[in-house]
Amino acid sequence: MAADSAYVLPDDELAQLQKLSGDYQPEITGPLVGERQSSAAITAEYANADPVYRTKTAALPDKYAYFRTCRGDGQCGWRAIAFTYYEALLREANVAKFDTEEARLMSMANLFNMAGLPTEMIMDFAEDVFGLMQKLAQTLRNGEGNADDVLLQTFNDEAESMSIITFFKFLASAWIQTHPNDFAGFVHGDLKSYCGNNIEPTASEIDYVAVAALAAALIKPTGFGLEIMYLDRSAGEEANVTPFVQTTEQSGLWQPTIRLLYRPGHYDILYKAEDFPVPVQPVPEQAPLHVALANPYNDTFIAAPSNVDLMAMMPGLYSTGLGQRWPSVSYDFDATPAPQPMQSYPPAPEAIAPVTSSHQEFVPVHASPAVQHAPANHHSIQLEAPPINLTMQQPASTTLERAALSLERPGPFRPSMYELEHMHALPLQTSIMKNSHYNTAHFLNPDFQPEAWSPEHGSGSKGKHRSTS
Amino acid sequence: MALSNGSAANVASRLQKELMDIMTHPTPGITAFPSSENLTTWTATIDGPTGTPYESLVFKLNFEFPSTYPYSPPNVTFKTPIYHPNVDFSGRICLDILKDKWSAVYNIGTVLLSLQSLLGEPNNSSPLNGQAAELWDKDMDEYKRLVLARHKTPEELDADAA
Repeated sequence: MAADSAYVLPDDELAQLQKLSGDYQPEITGPLVGERQSSAAITAEYANADPVYRTKTAALPDKYAYFRTCRGDGQCGWRAIAFTYYEALLREANVAKFDTEEARLMSMANLFNMAGLPTEMIMDFAEDVFGLMQKLAQTLRNGEGNADDVLLQTFNDEAESMSIITFFKFLASAWIQTHPNDFAGFVHGDLKSYCGNNIEPTASEIDYVAVAALAAALIKPTGFGLEIMYLDRSAGEEANVTPFVQTTEQSGLWQPTIRLLYRPGHYDILYKAEDFPVPVQPVPEQAPLHVALANPYNDTFIAAPSNVDLMAMMPGLYSTGLGQRWPSVSYDFDATPAPQPMQSYPPAPEAIAPVTSSHQEFVPVHASPAVQHAPANHHSIQLEAPPINLTMQQPASTTLERAALSLERPGPFRPSMYELEHMHALPLQTSIMKNSHYNTAHFLNPDFQPEAWSPEHGSGSKGKHRSTS
Repeated sequence: MALSNGSAANVASRLQKELMDIMTHPTPGITAFPSSENLTTWTATIDGPTGTPYESLVFKLNFEFPSTYPYSPPNVTFKTPIYHPNVDFSGRICLDILKDKWSAVYNIGTVLLSLQSLLGEPNNSSPLNGQAAELWDKDMDEYKRLVLARHKTPEELDADAA
């Protein structure tokens, strides 16, 4: 009967409904690829999630010090692998390898031909793949030290980013179709239609088969490693790590490992602290050396390891956008004793102290962003930092605001008597969705809107703001 | 998906390239040409495939290219009235490669060839025109009669528009 009544719907109306459903796009925000930030942000994100997530994310920052977000627009897995592939080339900092990689990927035209794919069309997209390689190699050759910025900017240009992703999609498709023995067992139906329906379409998210194909076609021949950490509700104390490719030493040279974080439906990028070997306690005299590094802003994260964890435990103080790192950097380099109270700050939430004393300790937290902008600090930044980063420095007010907003969440901090009345009315974030930073109720969301709970709405009314990738 | 600055130029250069390909390597049975100066609207025709109810009929189509092309499909509609299970009476088409199965390597030519083969091989499991889907399986003579009754030649179309 239902089918019959659907039958009599006017075509116009049907088409209208079809169009609405076809055009529906969930709200997506954030940069296509974000800045590298402390992975304590992930722990904070899950602070109110269910215990399995809490346990697993609490263990995460010890092993993986940093992470990088990818926008949940359906391309995140493809984008994460493509970005980290280029980044691994930069980390290896072997200019000649850019040329060999370009030649190797160029030869994949044979693979496209063998798979019966439209090689000419695909190689149009390859031009952007090679263009970025040449640009990065040139930047390395010139010793400009901003190759990381070039990479990040390119991947945040949607047209270039999509072009590169399209090439890698077809690389995966061609690899699968030309290696039937490796893939036929994992795929329903024939490989050609599987790839046409699940790999090649622009809207296709990456799946396990495609990851395996890119691991074999793109990553393995470079000698890089690839491992994916699965953060889900399966039993265990830590998220499971699947090594897809082990690094293979090439002529005795160290090879970087690409690490991805998979949460059901979404990929981000992970790093270990040792992925970025940098001086432990940089002093201004070393400044010229930093500028020459392939990753000019790496040292900013590890500058003062004794402080880093505490800093990172503070919601709102880790970076949420391009270039926001500098305020906290200046903090690390600060020669004055102003921030010292922070170090005595207990990181564990269990340590409940009287509200009055907690508030007294709290003041420096509020004040610290302002302290960072004391003229003396600015002076020291200008000595050390590459000029490009200076221009991206965030106004202090933003940092202050974020720090203040973050106080609303029960994090590692005890409640302050200075919290406003209405903050107590905020709902506990009980569902996973609410803990996503794509949710406007999440403090990391650029359009942050505190969500006021009311009985009529119930819970989950914001659940539609889900990551779709 | 919203492409950032420079995407309009990308779309234009890609469509320019497609136009060159179509003009230098014409495919029998299909034509396509821009109908707007900025190349974002095209008019195309396909010949009905031989051995189908659409044999010897010519169908006019309209292409609109979004600023995200080729990472989003063009919006394609039949301008010639057509009786077909997967086309509604406004000319809107139900074809997976114009929706979620769109891939950035498809172009105007591949879309037109796909539409041509759709004429001879309708997807009757998800019809926009339920009657046509039923008649295709049950009464081909009546189906053919309705195809011809609905059809208009390009000249008739132009006369209607004028």
